[in-house]
Amino acid sequence: MSLQRIIGVMVLFFLSEGTIFYWLLPDDMVGRIVPHFTLAFVLFAALYRGRHSALLLGLSFGLLQDLAFYGRILGVHAFAMGLVGYLTGLLMERKRSTLLMALSMIGLSTLVHDTVVYFIYRVFRLTDQTFEWALSQHVIPSLFLQLLFALALYIPARRWFEGSIKPKTDEEED
Amino acid sequence: MFNWMRNKRMFVLMIVFILFVAVLGFSIGDRKKLSWPENFALDTTGFFQQWLYRPAGYVSNLVHDLSHMREVYKENEQLRIAAAAYARDSIKYNGMEAKLKDLQEDLDFTERQKQLDNYKYLIAQVVAVNNDPYDETIRINLGSKDGIKPNMVVVTNKGLVGLIMRVDPFFSSVMPITKLNVNSIDTKLIAATVLGKEEKSFGIVDNYDSETGKLSMSKISEHDPLKKGDTVITSGEGGVYPRGMVIGTVDSSQVGDFGLTYTATITPAADFDHLTEVFVVQTSDLGAETP
Repeated sequence: MSLQRIIGVMVLFFLSEGTIFYWLLPDDMVGRIVPHFTLAFVLFAALYRGRHSALLLGLSFGLLQDLAFYGRILGVHAFAMGLVGYLTGLLMERKRSTLLMALSMIGLSTLVHDTVVYFIYRVFRLTDQTFEWALSQHVIPSLFLQLLFALALYIPARRWFEGSIKPKTDEEED
Repeated sequence: MFNWMRNKRMFVLMIVFILFVAVLGFSIGDRKKLSWPENFALDTTGFFQQWLYRPAGYVSNLVHDLSHMREVYKENEQLRIAAAAYARDSIKYNGMEAKLKDLQEDLDFTERQKQLDNYKYLIAQVVAVNNDPYDETIRINLGSKDGIKPNMVVVTNKGLVGLIMRVDPFFSSVMPITKLNVNSIDTKLIAATVLGKEEKSFGIVDNYDSETGKLSMSKISEHDPLKKGDTVITSGEGGVYPRGMVIGTVDSSQVGDFGLTYTATITPAADFDHLTEVFVVQTSDLGAETP
């Protein structure tokens, strides 16, 4: 599967986050279970394609999320997703990660992402919740969703991203 | 050579970091107009999101209605009674409104004073809701082409939901009042009063506690007649927000931070979850000149 098609799938997941998925959540779980579907794809890209494509995907989809829901501040998700994608790529790039390794990396990176987002809002004084409260209120519950989502998409996503490199191997090896 | 490459990478990283801090700082707070890339991104995503949000909402509501068939029947009965009462009251209201107009003429009210309560309610469909717990923006399908401006008030039939934050040509972003925070730099202050005691009561709704789910109204004077169970409405003082929008009911009132004023906790009247339709309140243009 080419990268263009993967981006198409990511756009579909991005659009469903604020619409279809929002309606699937029961009332009291809104704001507690936060979907990070595009972040999962960025991390898969970091694991199975390379850190640069993860950085680019993270920056662009983060920026898309920031712009599409521009309410208080721009650039938070672009920064956090780009950073987390790049760092994960730096650590794990093409190590042929197994399922367990990939899942734990995605879990860890999602935690780092949520922490970065929290501290940006904190630094700009847009929230005054404590970090412990944020952790128990939405970071941990959404981590479970993220792990489930990553598990469900592990096989197709790995195949797509690994398949997306092949035509380009000549360019990347120099 | 290698060292130079690493330094260059460091340099690029620093520049990107500084750029991000600049963008973050720049984008907070009031901005009258958005640039065209922002408008383009907001409008195109809004256009696609509306085709997903509305059908999902219909299906979800249908399932909910089917599983609560008996309640729907009861609700229907109540609505019929309410409609009958409304028809009765509207005759009375028309008579009173005509009389009020006559009296205003006799007392030489200025045009601005006459138009003070003349609001237009524009119906808007919700297009998408942001899942970010720090920024639960609600996107609606009315924009600057429909006459929407920042700081307009958004209500449902139950009460105040939020304020318009960003406006692009065909859609706009609503900040729910659950994001009011007295310590944050982009907060809004809503002047409020109590229904039935508009002349005697005054306070400012400025904070929402996400742990308890209550709003707080501060700067209430000692002699204020406000008590538990009162309905809090916007007062319209200050001229930015229209008056008479229901915010919530008073839960309790206690001495505020410095012991000079009182602070009341308010249970919000509106339901913020899974909205499909909201109303944007458009005040008449004569009184809309705000500093």
